[in-house]
Amino acid sequence: MKNRIAIVDGIRTPQCKAGGIFKDISADDLGAYCVKELLTKLNLPVNEIDELIFGNVSQPMNKANIARVIALKSGLPNSIPAYTVHRNCASGAESVTTAAAKINAGEANIFVTGGTESMSNIPLMFSKKMEVFFAKLMRSKSIGQKLNTLLSFRPKDLQPVIGIVEGLTDPICGLIMGKTAEVLAREFQINRAEQDDFALLSHKRAVNAQEAEVFDKEILPLPMPPAYKSIQSADDGPRKDQSLHALKKLRPYFDRHNGTVTVGNSCPLSDGAAALVVMSEENARNLGYDPLGYLIDYAYAGLEPNRMGLGPVYATAKLLKNSKINFNDIDLIELNEAFAAQVIANERAFASNDFAQTYLGRSQKIGDIDRNKLNVNGGAIALGHPVGTTGARLILTLLKELRRQNKQLGLATMCIGGGQGGAMLVEVDS
Amino acid sequence: MSGAFKFTIDGATGIGTILFDYPGERINKLTFEVMDELETLIDKIGSDSSLKAVTLISAKKDIFIAGADINEIASINSSEDGKKKALLGQRIITKFSKLPLPTVAVINGACLGGGLELSLAFDYRIATDNPKTSIGLPEVNLGIIPGFGGTQRLPRLIGLEKALTMILTGRPVDGKKAYRYRLVDALIPKEFLHEKVNEFISVILQPNGAEQIKKQRNKATLQSIVLEKNPIGKAVLFNLSKKNVVAKTKQFYPAPLKAVDVIKKTHAMPLDQGLQIEADEFSKLVITDTCRNLINLFFIREKLKKDSGTREPVAIKDIANVGVLGAGVMGGAIAWLFTKSFISTRIKDLNWDAIRKGYETAAKIYKQLKKLRKFDDREINLRMHKLSATVDYSGFEKIDLVIEAVVEDLNVKQSVFSDLENRIPSSAIIASNTSTLSITEMSKRLKNPERFIGMHFFNPVNRMPLVEVIPGDKTSPKTIATIMELTKRLGKTPVLVKSCPGFLVNRLLLPYLNEAFYLLQVGVDPVRVDSIITRFGMPMGPFALADEVGIDIGYKAAKILEESYGKRMKMVDIFVDISNDKSLLGKKSGKGIYQYSGKDKEINPEIASLVSKYSGESQSLGINVSDNEILERLMLIMVNEASRCMQEEIVSCPEYLDMAMIMGTGFPPFRGGLLRYADSFGISKIVDVLKGFETVSKDRFQPCDYLNKMKDEQLKFYSS
Repeated sequence: MKNRIAIVDGIRTPQCKAGGIFKDISADDLGAYCVKELLTKLNLPVNEIDELIFGNVSQPMNKANIARVIALKSGLPNSIPAYTVHRNCASGAESVTTAAAKINAGEANIFVTGGTESMSNIPLMFSKKMEVFFAKLMRSKSIGQKLNTLLSFRPKDLQPVIGIVEGLTDPICGLIMGKTAEVLAREFQINRAEQDDFALLSHKRAVNAQEAEVFDKEILPLPMPPAYKSIQSADDGPRKDQSLHALKKLRPYFDRHNGTVTVGNSCPLSDGAAALVVMSEENARNLGYDPLGYLIDYAYAGLEPNRMGLGPVYATAKLLKNSKINFNDIDLIELNEAFAAQVIANERAFASNDFAQTYLGRSQKIGDIDRNKLNVNGGAIALGHPVGTTGARLILTLLKELRRQNKQLGLATMCIGGGQGGAMLVEVDS
Repeated sequence: MSGAFKFTIDGATGIGTILFDYPGERINKLTFEVMDELETLIDKIGSDSSLKAVTLISAKKDIFIAGADINEIASINSSEDGKKKALLGQRIITKFSKLPLPTVAVINGACLGGGLELSLAFDYRIATDNPKTSIGLPEVNLGIIPGFGGTQRLPRLIGLEKALTMILTGRPVDGKKAYRYRLVDALIPKEFLHEKVNEFISVILQPNGAEQIKKQRNKATLQSIVLEKNPIGKAVLFNLSKKNVVAKTKQFYPAPLKAVDVIKKTHAMPLDQGLQIEADEFSKLVITDTCRNLINLFFIREKLKKDSGTREPVAIKDIANVGVLGAGVMGGAIAWLFTKSFISTRIKDLNWDAIRKGYETAAKIYKQLKKLRKFDDREINLRMHKLSATVDYSGFEKIDLVIEAVVEDLNVKQSVFSDLENRIPSSAIIASNTSTLSITEMSKRLKNPERFIGMHFFNPVNRMPLVEVIPGDKTSPKTIATIMELTKRLGKTPVLVKSCPGFLVNRLLLPYLNEAFYLLQVGVDPVRVDSIITRFGMPMGPFALADEVGIDIGYKAAKILEESYGKRMKMVDIFVDISNDKSLLGKKSGKGIYQYSGKDKEINPEIASLVSKYSGESQSLGINVSDNEILERLMLIMVNEASRCMQEEIVSCPEYLDMAMIMGTGFPPFRGGLLRYADSFGISKIVDVLKGFETVSKDRFQPCDYLNKMKDEQLKFYSS
């Protein structure tokens, strides 16, 4: 990347389990709360903003180009354009890297970026057969035709198509995401106990971070519409009482017979949004900001859809290939926890010379991941994974943690449904 | 003056156009001079056989005809005069309906009162879908009925039920609804006005064209068959209308009832007989006190609209970002008000739970408005996005105005202000929503007190139209003008009040409430007091009001007033007792003077036992107090205090005091306001009655110097 890009500051909503606390709030509202609050806090003159770019995976039917809706709801003037980016689980990160690319191309200077997702509001749909039935009914003119059409109705056609299942199923390999985790568990021979251990670690770290008020610096407390009877100011995923015993009791969810992946060692479906203001370093300086941190480089890589969980290792390899940074210089890593099996598979691939030679075109492994540097405040297994948001959320959490620990270099990386990986190198000025 | 009309004829089509352009004004109105000119014009048109059709169009933006000239209505000094003028107007308007060629009124903008009555005499009406197009007969709001044929032609055109609704409520309809009612025969876009009018005329000039359009009018619907086309249905309809009017006006306002009577009596009569009866009844109403008072209030409102609060025009500050300190009931509701106008509003309170309550208050008001169909979910969602909150003043760096709504405690407020002053731009205005504390006092420790002002909203903010705007000694004209303008932008009515404890409304209202508790203490039944006062026309009695406001809130205000004004506002013992019992907070705690269960309320037995503590065996004392004495003690104690306010120039004129009382306390509009009421009571008599009450308490009832002087000089509050 040409120049590093300033990430001035960021904010996020709490992340809450889908179908729960945030179920009545739409994705655009979540996004708009963040953007409005961030701009207010930064006292950023709105007319200086060039564009708003937001990531979102399951765009609401009635909010096509959700980024534009977010821009206007958050109070940006009509004159500022906005568009939505989609790179599955990295959509939030995509908004940041797209802005970075535009800044480095000299196209524009100041962007509002982020991601939002309301997995609660992914709809159920009518089946194709029902659709055809409705269309036929509408075309039927005479009573006879209508009766005929009505008689063709079969109750089983009413069975809905579940949007969220469709969305999480890879259209190329035909596997739902959880099954791709099973593929990795087999490839790397990761057993159930290892996965449950990791899931427990995620919860413990997340609970500790909550108790130490680590996230308070990044979370915007939300008075809860429509009645505003409560305030939500924390992620609702981390379980203080999570135990190996409880995790062990869960049945494998995706492969009932031989599987190891359970809902306990996977991330939950979540609602939440995050926003970041990014601009050229020069602009940040001119506006008098002391940026939270900087994006110094990024890479996206592709791999087999059924092994999508290994995205981080592919993307990180690509990132480091063109970079002077040494893997061991990285102080902290946020590697998104889609599944415990998937995180562990990455750990092994990162540390394997064999894997590096076979798949990455490197003679040497990328490096061993020190768990003391990895997801120190817990990850998606505990905190949740609102798909379009996570990329932005990882950058935000990582930068805040680097600052808190007085460290410099961080890597945010994630697997991306469809067979991709994303990796971002960030730094904080010492 | 002449030349309100320009008449042109298109030689090619033979269509004549009357262009109404009232000289020198923004609006068109029907003065008698205009009517005169119109008559000459009608005669000319009638004698021109080359004309094929005539249209009437306004040259004013967004106004067709705003109505009759209210000054002329106000100047009617006798019933005979009123009848003469109504008949004159009716005669000229009727002439239009007798023209031998088709006539079309083209309504683009407001078409009210006389304007609609004139249009009704045309063969056809066309309206635009301009949002400013509003068509109605608002006469009842001025205490009269339509006098230029409105009660006659409207029911004949659109049917009894719809006409009754329009005339009795006075509420205008937009173009779309007017077309649905077939009050107009076509709905057109104003951008294609001339093209569409010409199209319409070419249709009516075709054989059968006119019939086809007229066939569309007042079509029978199931409802109209049931209610309008048979005697039983009609009886039900008139009864229902009357009942609704009585329920709404409590019979204080005779005009709508009269309107029902007139329509009931005349709707089946020949038109000219009906017009006679309309003129008769109009002329009786137009000289009533109610009509005069309502017309005066109309003029006061117009005056207030133009009052910028400063003598010299000053540049006002643009208010885009507002901060609200304190998310209590007032803070939340004030925040709601700003979001309603799409002004970015940031609540600051000590913690998120307090903030949540502010959001809850705002959302509750929107929920009510949704029920009333004023807003839908989308509109509410967008407005709620204007609301944000902070516990640490973040975001206050670019605030334009801060409204303080924290507890009524001078020390707390002063420390809040000195903290605040360093966190906001130096140009930001600081407004306090205090209801009683002195503005000058509050601003004493501020670095720049010229940006400090009182902005007193009334509870409930969403329903009370009044805002008292109170400059301190050093408040700058720019600050005053900005807040006056902003208040209007928020849809409220600002009244400029000089700083004094309680300002205007509370300073008058609290002695009245206090007096009610004095009556309670000697054993007068509170239900009786409340009913005397509601019969007087107040929306609720003093005890119901005390419960509504909250005994604790009332106590705090009364305490400050007692400290400021001394003996005449000394709190009555029984009220102090009631406020000491923290379970008796009024409606919000379920009981105060009354106890509440659901929508019902009854006297709280705890109050009765408190009363017996004071009046003991002599409870019967209360029964000896006459209804008249109760009313006079309560009203005249306010008049006495209001006189002091006039003397101290707390408001600049009696009109403003009256309007403030009407909008701030619901003082009955038909009485014209407190001082109008005092004038009609008689100043001299007021002084005498007050003197009579000195046996009850000299401190409270001794007439003030201003009243005495007015009596001596035989003056009234209003010169006319």
